[in-house]
Amino acid sequence: MKSIWRAREFSTVIILLIEVAFFGWYLWPEAGRAHPFLNLGNFLLIFKYSSIYGIAAIGAAVVIISGGIDLAPGAIIALTTVITGYLFVVAGWPLWAGASVGLAAGACSGFVSAQLIVRARLPPFIATLGIMGILRGAAFIVTEARFYDLSAKLPRDWHVLGVSIDWLGPIVMVGLAIVFQRLMTGYQWGRSVCAVGGNETAALFSGIPVNRIKTSAYVLSGALAATSGIVLAVVQGQGKADLASGYELDIIASAVVGGASLVGGRGSVAGAVLGALIFGVLRNALPQIPGATFYDRLIVGVVVIGIVVMDQVLTRRTNAGT
Amino acid sequence: MPVDAGALEFIDVHKSFGAVRALQGVSFTVSAGEAHAVVGENGAGKSTLLKILAGIARPDRGEVRLNGAHFNHASPRDALAGGIGMVFQERLAFPNLTVAGNIFAGREVVFPGGRLNARAMRARTQALLHELRLSIDPDLPMEHASAAVAQLVQVARALAFECRVLVLDEPTTSLTDAEVDHLFRILIDLKRRGVTLLFVSHRLPEVFRLCDRITVLRDGRFVGTFDRATTTPDAIVRAMVGRAPPARIDRARPPASTAPVLSAQSLSRAPWLTNVSVDVRPGEIVGIFGLVGSGRTELLETLFGLAPPTGGRILVDGREITFDSVRDASRAGLALVPEDRQRLGLHFNLSIRHNIALARAARVGLGRIDTAEESRTAQSMATSLGIRVPDLSSTPDALSGGNQQKVVLGKGLATSPRILLLDEPTKGVDVGAKFDIHNLIRERAATGMACLVVSSDLPEILALADRIVVMREGHVRGILDAAEATEERIMQLATHEVAVTT
Repeated sequence: MKSIWRAREFSTVIILLIEVAFFGWYLWPEAGRAHPFLNLGNFLLIFKYSSIYGIAAIGAAVVIISGGIDLAPGAIIALTTVITGYLFVVAGWPLWAGASVGLAAGACSGFVSAQLIVRARLPPFIATLGIMGILRGAAFIVTEARFYDLSAKLPRDWHVLGVSIDWLGPIVMVGLAIVFQRLMTGYQWGRSVCAVGGNETAALFSGIPVNRIKTSAYVLSGALAATSGIVLAVVQGQGKADLASGYELDIIASAVVGGASLVGGRGSVAGAVLGALIFGVLRNALPQIPGATFYDRLIVGVVVIGIVVMDQVLTRRTNAGT
Repeated sequence: MPVDAGALEFIDVHKSFGAVRALQGVSFTVSAGEAHAVVGENGAGKSTLLKILAGIARPDRGEVRLNGAHFNHASPRDALAGGIGMVFQERLAFPNLTVAGNIFAGREVVFPGGRLNARAMRARTQALLHELRLSIDPDLPMEHASAAVAQLVQVARALAFECRVLVLDEPTTSLTDAEVDHLFRILIDLKRRGVTLLFVSHRLPEVFRLCDRITVLRDGRFVGTFDRATTTPDAIVRAMVGRAPPARIDRARPPASTAPVLSAQSLSRAPWLTNVSVDVRPGEIVGIFGLVGSGRTELLETLFGLAPPTGGRILVDGREITFDSVRDASRAGLALVPEDRQRLGLHFNLSIRHNIALARAARVGLGRIDTAEESRTAQSMATSLGIRVPDLSSTPDALSGGNQQKVVLGKGLATSPRILLLDEPTKGVDVGAKFDIHNLIRERAATGMACLVVSSDLPEILALADRIVVMREGHVRGILDAAEATEERIMQLATHEVAVTT
């Protein structure tokens, strides 16, 4: 297990640290002024926004390791904010109840995707592309271009057990990352996910319930995307159908930058969260550089390719050395 | 054209891949117009030699000469232009192109301006196919062509570029006997026309049938070149393995009165199996022989819960069992070592240790993994099976075929089965590993394990089995006792109707 840690997540941590060091140096302020990037409040901000991607990226990594792909998370996030917002604001339900329904909806969407893949034998890309469209469409139909304002009903300066609600996302993300990293590396379920992604037929011959494992991956991905949606709804105070558009690709990119191979069988949950943080730092720091605003998407694209190419070069070198 | 066109010389060729020294000073000569075999176990350096000839790899040291001139091809395209045609064991074809498209892939005949001259390519293909006595349409999509046709199309491709040297890498692996005959007739014909053949194969009978001289490689070194007329297959095997084969483990057959542990009664699975009845007693090795399409693999799959039978019963210890899944079969004490280890047996993204523990863990359930116990199991399997590997936490892709097969065997044995199903347990493994695997099967049988071995290798069946079940077209055509079985008798049962009609 230790060697795995050294092999991949470690290099992702290094990339993250280099990135932070670079922006710390580049944005170093004139004497006497506060650092705009290197300060606790800004780090909290980065964590807060990265957690929206990061929580969903955990599920995306599991799906990718199982040999599939999930394009639905962005739509699930939006739908969850809408469901939670509607039940909380319009129907007057307590927040936890609205959020639970949103979570269930996410898990169900994942289940439907999985059934399309496992039973109807659709390629995962097509099945989840379709589900993505259906869910996003459903969110628009329900809201009819309205949005639900949760912030008005939420307590101002909300603290739970003495902790600001701003910490909700980061705490959930780190907690889930630890739990799923353990499940993936030390438990039969995680081993089976790797086995299915590495060689589905051999997994079947080994007595692994392949369809159940695949289903679990998509249900998990749906539930975690819904969790992202709940965090987004609470933190942003909105339930809206056009939230999180295009997030699915950022979520997949986070998992890939964190070491997940789209061929399946390889990847890491912790890496996916670190990947989300790498993008979070970029999104936070780039707007602070004068004139860089328009370059932000371009730089993100270059970084994805750069990191994955570097990773492959390193892997090849390690393999040649043995 | 010079008289010696097609002569190949290897002079002190060295080649390393990372730390692996694949070739260490190999020197030998292939005369123009001869059929020359290169044999050796897996890892002997044959494929590296082929890669150098194909222009995929370059020697680190030493030299290859073609017709006396230094040979330094940088790419497969150069090699083809230089007169060396390759026929690979796998189907390296473009299934989406036609036969003609495959033959000219990468070197299409074009009009000035670059438009494809389909008519010229079609005509040339027609001529080549005629020469190879193949009655197929040049416009046939490759995906509809059989394995034999695919091999011959590769030969045609080499001929289309007027190659003087034809290199064949295990070309008969997926061919039937009749198809092998056809291929060999064409190869002998080509040889007569002065084409040099370099034939790489595991199958010594074929080597002796086709080749004038045989070069043996072992561990990247040249052992010797032998003349067909003055050597024997046994001498070649000894040169390949570098040691005498291990002594055969003797075991007593279980008495015929023992109750069977596994018994299939009138098992059917339309359309592959009809009324198949087989018994296996504890400690017994039952061989199943049949040609491709006889239902032998389907029988094992059905017994292992991979596909439900459409009729008949499966009894374990006399009690009827209905398997819904591999897990059920595994719980009942069965393990399957599948035929295609790369596709059905191994996970190349997992370590060897995890591979060995996988089937066992799948049976235990979805709990926390006891890594210490997992390591112990894998280590003891590796030791008892003689898996030669420095580190069990590496992935199995670096292992030789024989060691990979032992990992798959270990994976099955790690579930502590009472009934072991083996499908072609030594397919594509080298001679030394084959002896080892045979002894491992005998050892397990001696401890009371019931073994059901499917093999299309007749000598293997005869060497291993106590009883031999012969299958053809989904039926059991005969059950022979080892004492009364001969190759002729088995083949007769396996091919009866074919023999009558042709």
